Amino acid sequence: MELRTKEMLMSMGLYSLLTMVVYFVALSQAGAGFDPRDIAAGLLWLTFIFTSMLGLNRSLVHEKDQGCLEALLLSPVDRPVIYFAKVTGNLVFLLIVEALTIPVFAFLFLQGEAIDLRTMALIPLVLVAGSIGIAGVGTLLATMSVNTSGKDFVLAMLFIPLIYPLLLGAVMATGAAIVGTPEALGVFWTGMAWVIGYDVIMLLASYGLYEFIVGA
Amino acid sequence: MKSSITRAFIALVVGGALTLAAFLGAFFWAGVPDFGFVRTAEQTDSVRYQGPFVQEVDEARYLRNYVGYEADITADGTLTEGRITEAREDGVTLETDAGDVTIAAADFESAQVYGSTYGRPDWGQKIFYFHVPVAEISFIVFGFAAFYGIRFIMTRKREYDTKARVSMEVTLLFVMLTMATGILWTRAAWGVWWEWEPRLTTYFIMTLLVIGYFVLRNAVEDEERRALYAAAFGILAFIDAPISFFITRLIPSNHPVIERGGLEPPMLVTFIIAQIGMILLGYAIYQLRMGEVLLRDRIEHAKTLLER
Repeated sequence: MELRTKEMLMSMGLYSLLTMVVYFVALSQAGAGFDPRDIAAGLLWLTFIFTSMLGLNRSLVHEKDQGCLEALLLSPVDRPVIYFAKVTGNLVFLLIVEALTIPVFAFLFLQGEAIDLRTMALIPLVLVAGSIGIAGVGTLLATMSVNTSGKDFVLAMLFIPLIYPLLLGAVMATGAAIVGTPEALGVFWTGMAWVIGYDVIMLLASYGLYEFIVGA
Repeated sequence: MKSSITRAFIALVVGGALTLAAFLGAFFWAGVPDFGFVRTAEQTDSVRYQGPFVQEVDEARYLRNYVGYEADITADGTLTEGRITEAREDGVTLETDAGDVTIAAADFESAQVYGSTYGRPDWGQKIFYFHVPVAEISFIVFGFAAFYGIRFIMTRKREYDTKARVSMEVTLLFVMLTMATGILWTRAAWGVWWEWEPRLTTYFIMTLLVIGYFVLRNAVEDEERRALYAAAFGILAFIDAPISFFITRLIPSNHPVIERGGLEPPMLVTFIIAQIGMILLGYAIYQLRMGEVLLRDRIEHAKTLLER
């Protein structure tokens, strides 16, 4: 368990660093008038989405390879408990990687830009709310996709369209927090309302469906 | 089974006749709306020029429909005359004799936009009688797919899985038709093939979800597991359908919305006929495909019996 935690964090962290390199290349031809704050939120969530897909896939593949899931199902634990345990596990990994990614991202791309630290302090709220949705839906979908041929592609094909409403709200809120004007605060809470509404609906649906999926 | 095929054929004939009737009604009975208000520079193109016209605009966000028009804008008590060159959510930019002037949306009071009414019939609007019913059916059949998914999870009967799958196939067909007609219309009405606009975006996501359903089905070997996974994903995916349906009423969107009492009787009757016709066609396609699938199953079953 100890070993696997280290391995997961290493691979997810390095993956998010690699995306930074790709972003640098992608933005290298932007002119001097380009303001990275405008797209910072989008880039951040892009990193989180792809990193989380990597993490979700691996967390379930390990379980399947070593027969761990069967053992869990045999043990006298309620299946909803298994679901929330898996969600929490994925959520913790995701939050750690996010907490590491944001300073690195700010260091690489937002140096010298005017940033309001008071509104930036709201970003953890979006991160937690958004990550709960990602982990909740992602755990259910990864449980399905791990049993299919072409795991990675199936997970992406199911996960990205399904996560779209959350992504829209999260990018809206994060962008507003980065820009940080007084009007942006209203946009921030609109985005948060989207994310929290999505979390509630999707977590309930996933929680209800997990019981049937994991036993199949 | 035979009676359902008969019913399907009746629905096909009646639905086809009603759709044809709606098509004729759309072109020969229902009125054609004019293009309405256009900017002065385009007057020469007009068939029935109806003279200068002033449009009152009372909210800044509506000005995005009038980019390129001459306008007098009152903001903060002062009047600015000029041509609208850009309109964003936070403000509008006018090109005046004294250079560009930007007016913040917060200061905006009212605007008078100069143009003319335009007599050219808007034939592109006719796709409304086809595009809207097709889109409605795509939502309805998607709902059936999710419903049969729930039924399957509750009962674990194979017939519900087949029904959910066939519903999803019909959904895919209608979603594709909606996309095709919608893209033609946006080109005619907005001048672009595609725009990342709330309704179009959420509908595009819905298309991807329906395609994802079949990707998932094809990727699972075990039959029972495939049925369960597909049912679960169908239920999750359906959550996007209400979002897509209501989004034009929630966020400002370019996509038109039918308002209560907004249609004249000939247009309304044609529209209702088109809707009934399309529902019958959707039902017929579903039943015929269902019949085919059941027949295929019987053949497979017979084959396995013969091989023994």
